[in-house]
Amino acid sequence: MILLDYHNVVIEETLTQPIVNVIPTALDMIVVDFDSVSYHISTSESTSVIKFSISMQCYKELVQWGAQDMLQREYGPYCVSNTEEGYDFTLEFNLQNLPEDKEQREGLVKKLALIKRNLLAQPFERAFEQQAKFEEEKQTNPVSDLMQIHYRDQEAIYIQAQLDRVTVIFSTLFKEETDRLFGKVFLQEFVDARRRPNLQNAPQVLYSSKEPPLEIRHLPELKNANKNEDIGYVTFGDVREKTISQIQLFRDYLHYHIKCSKAYMHSRMRARVQAFLKVLNRAKPELPNVEKKTITLVILYI
Amino acid sequence: MRLPPVIMDNGTGYTKLGFAGNSEPSFVFPTVIATRDSANTGASGTSAPSKTSHLSGNIASKRGIEDLDFYIGNEALSNSKTYGLHYPIRHGQIDNWDQMERFWEQSIFKYLRCEPEDHYFLLTEPPLNAPENREQTAEIMFESFNIQGLYIAVQAVLALAASWTSKKVADKVLTGTVIDSGDGVTHVIPVAEGYVIGSSIKHIPIAGRDITYYVQQLLRDRGETSIPPEDSLKVAESIKERYSYVCQDIVKEFKKSDQEADNFFQKYQGIHSPYEVDVGFERFLGPEIFFNPEIASSDFLTPLPNVVDNVIQSCPIDVRRGLYKNIVLSGGSTMFKGFDKRLHRDMKRAVDARVKRSEELSGGTMKAKEIDVKVISHKKQRYAVWYGGSLLGSTPVFNSYCHTKAEYEEHGPSICRHNRVFGSMG
Amino acid sequence: MRSNTLRPYLAAVRSTLTAALCVENFSSQVAERHNNPEVEARLSSLEVVVNPLTISRNKHEKVLIEPSVNSIRVSIKIKQADEIERILCHKFTRFMMIRAENFIILRRKPIILVDFIIQFMEEVDKEISEMKLSLNTRARTVAESYLLQFT
Repeated sequence: MILLDYHNVVIEETLTQPIVNVIPTALDMIVVDFDSVSYHISTSESTSVIKFSISMQCYKELVQWGAQDMLQREYGPYCVSNTEEGYDFTLEFNLQNLPEDKEQREGLVKKLALIKRNLLAQPFERAFEQQAKFEEEKQTNPVSDLMQIHYRDQEAIYIQAQLDRVTVIFSTLFKEETDRLFGKVFLQEFVDARRRPNLQNAPQVLYSSKEPPLEIRHLPELKNANKNEDIGYVTFGDVREKTISQIQLFRDYLHYHIKCSKAYMHSRMRARVQAFLKVLNRAKPELPNVEKKTITLVILYI
Repeated sequence: MRLPPVIMDNGTGYTKLGFAGNSEPSFVFPTVIATRDSANTGASGTSAPSKTSHLSGNIASKRGIEDLDFYIGNEALSNSKTYGLHYPIRHGQIDNWDQMERFWEQSIFKYLRCEPEDHYFLLTEPPLNAPENREQTAEIMFESFNIQGLYIAVQAVLALAASWTSKKVADKVLTGTVIDSGDGVTHVIPVAEGYVIGSSIKHIPIAGRDITYYVQQLLRDRGETSIPPEDSLKVAESIKERYSYVCQDIVKEFKKSDQEADNFFQKYQGIHSPYEVDVGFERFLGPEIFFNPEIASSDFLTPLPNVVDNVIQSCPIDVRRGLYKNIVLSGGSTMFKGFDKRLHRDMKRAVDARVKRSEELSGGTMKAKEIDVKVISHKKQRYAVWYGGSLLGSTPVFNSYCHTKAEYEEHGPSICRHNRVFGSMG
Repeated sequence: MRSNTLRPYLAAVRSTLTAALCVENFSSQVAERHNNPEVEARLSSLEVVVNPLTISRNKHEKVLIEPSVNSIRVSIKIKQADEIERILCHKFTRFMMIRAENFIILRRKPIILVDFIIQFMEEVDKEISEMKLSLNTRARTVAESYLLQFT
């Protein structure tokens, strides 16, 4: 597996039985997703009503950028106002009121498995709209929001529409030194990749550690932050609309591959240590072949 | 909001994955990995760092990430034509660390979809697992995956904790005898106050698979010719799962079923093609091999209740009453209806007979206090180990029982050789 | 240039080790019926611990050999050219340290022990540079696979 999936497998599998096949099932399940997202899928007294709640660290920020409109648009008939405690919003499904068509129900489950992706896509979509507007109106010096999404503790995405492009900046935290150094190697390759002929159309990538890039340097939260080596900033210039799903998962993709590399190093080292041991064990002196005799112990009682 | 700890129970046959607080694992799939390098099999690391596997040459390795080309679980099985299948766990213990590390990699990122840096993890181990294995597990978990904290629990202890869900259990103790029966083998494991009494563990070579084979044989002997040969095992398996139960007396049961034949005999409908199979005495004869192994096996002849009784008798005298009082069932092959009743009755008989005999031997001068035998069966029995982990993982004190990444870095992997036993937690 | 100096370097280490490994049984002069490795214990008089010696290939690669009458200690400095090599070297040595119990060198044939040390020195460098190389290859493929989605 090189690329990460966008949809949540657990949600899809859990909801297939009750929603697609309309077989009431008692449910009470907590599910998580990348980037500190958690869901609660439950049925209460009646198994024919399923509650689906989601909690997301950056939900309040996403509301600013139109998350609620998206929810209304995509999941509208199922939105309920009494949100479950501890969660950011709740959807409710009555098995009696599901779409007649099985394909539509399958689509609904698919859409639920993609709910995190859809929520996080909001600020991106907004940026693309803005940028299109700038282009249309031929604004020479457009002013646009710098959208900040603090989707994890100490890590954030910054999105800004400019006249001819949308810039996305990720800040990411490396929890240990190996990760930081491996991360640096990886990010350098992201920066260099555009030199290759088949990747000339890919967005331009810039990378800096310690020093935040120009676009966000003025932010108070970064101004006062001590210049920590463990934090890296990755800038994607000119991101396209069709790649919202991919760009969202950048941080997770990067850290996934750092971890896979460490696992790979482990397997190399295991093999190498085994080879060393093989050589060392040749140094075992051969045991002289002495016939072993049983000794009978005689206890004398005196 | 605190993210729930991840509970991973990697068994020889099946892996159970999920999050603490849930009553069922989110995923149950075979512990199998399908890899390209079929030539490079064998036990962990026995292959030298051959240049072909890592460096040069073949097309798959050209991009430098050939180690990511693999599948696990059901996906592995469905790709078995083009990939080689490997089972990284043997007899409950991790046999190939390279494969296990990759198995975990995909379990976490593809199936659970979580960032391990954000979670505490509870893993399980068989009784008498070597402390070195715990160290290696910790090395992978902390160094490759940067997890926040790790708790490695003994499967039998988790099975005991899972039984707290039963109404029969009055006080939540970690003393009891666990009968864990999966597909391959059945273990009888005595646990005293959270510690396994290793010297008394017994393994029985009769488990789910043997029942399936026996049912298959019974069908064949009776001449159920309508079953296509390729379906034979599948049919036997689903007859076992759907219709089997444990009877209380085999002779009476034969009589009864003959009299009430109409009610008793069931029809089993074919899987792919239309055919019908009569389901008869194998309904109760299948699981009967636990109690009368001689009907199916010629080399193992001790009935399960006797094995359990012997195990408890071999334990220190001061814990025996506790062990009789809390006999806990775990695993799919203990799920047959009536299993607990039969086990209880047979054991009670044996125990009472022994007490009576010793009273007689004392010439009637000594009167023994009756020994309380209790067999606990409960709803979460199938994935009892996982469920026990989920229970412990969801308690507020769980994190304080884990070894954290900071502790690991301070003291090294040896810190994970031991995990504190959970007291009885509410 | 580099590889030219490797052979004489290893040859020097080999002959020094071969000479140093002429150890003999030597009872402790301090504790009765004890037999301590003198190079570690340093309990007895100084005569039993011979002068240590360093063989250097360059600033970054050297071997310190401390012989004594009944034991020797070898310390190897592995080349670490940049921070990636440094972290990989750290990872690798730590990995070996955790498994130190498997590396039994007591009561072994000395000649083959020398072979082992020489092979270790040869291969550890190779392994680290191969790991570094593979990390770069991986990183390139990972970056490429990701960015290909955008084109």
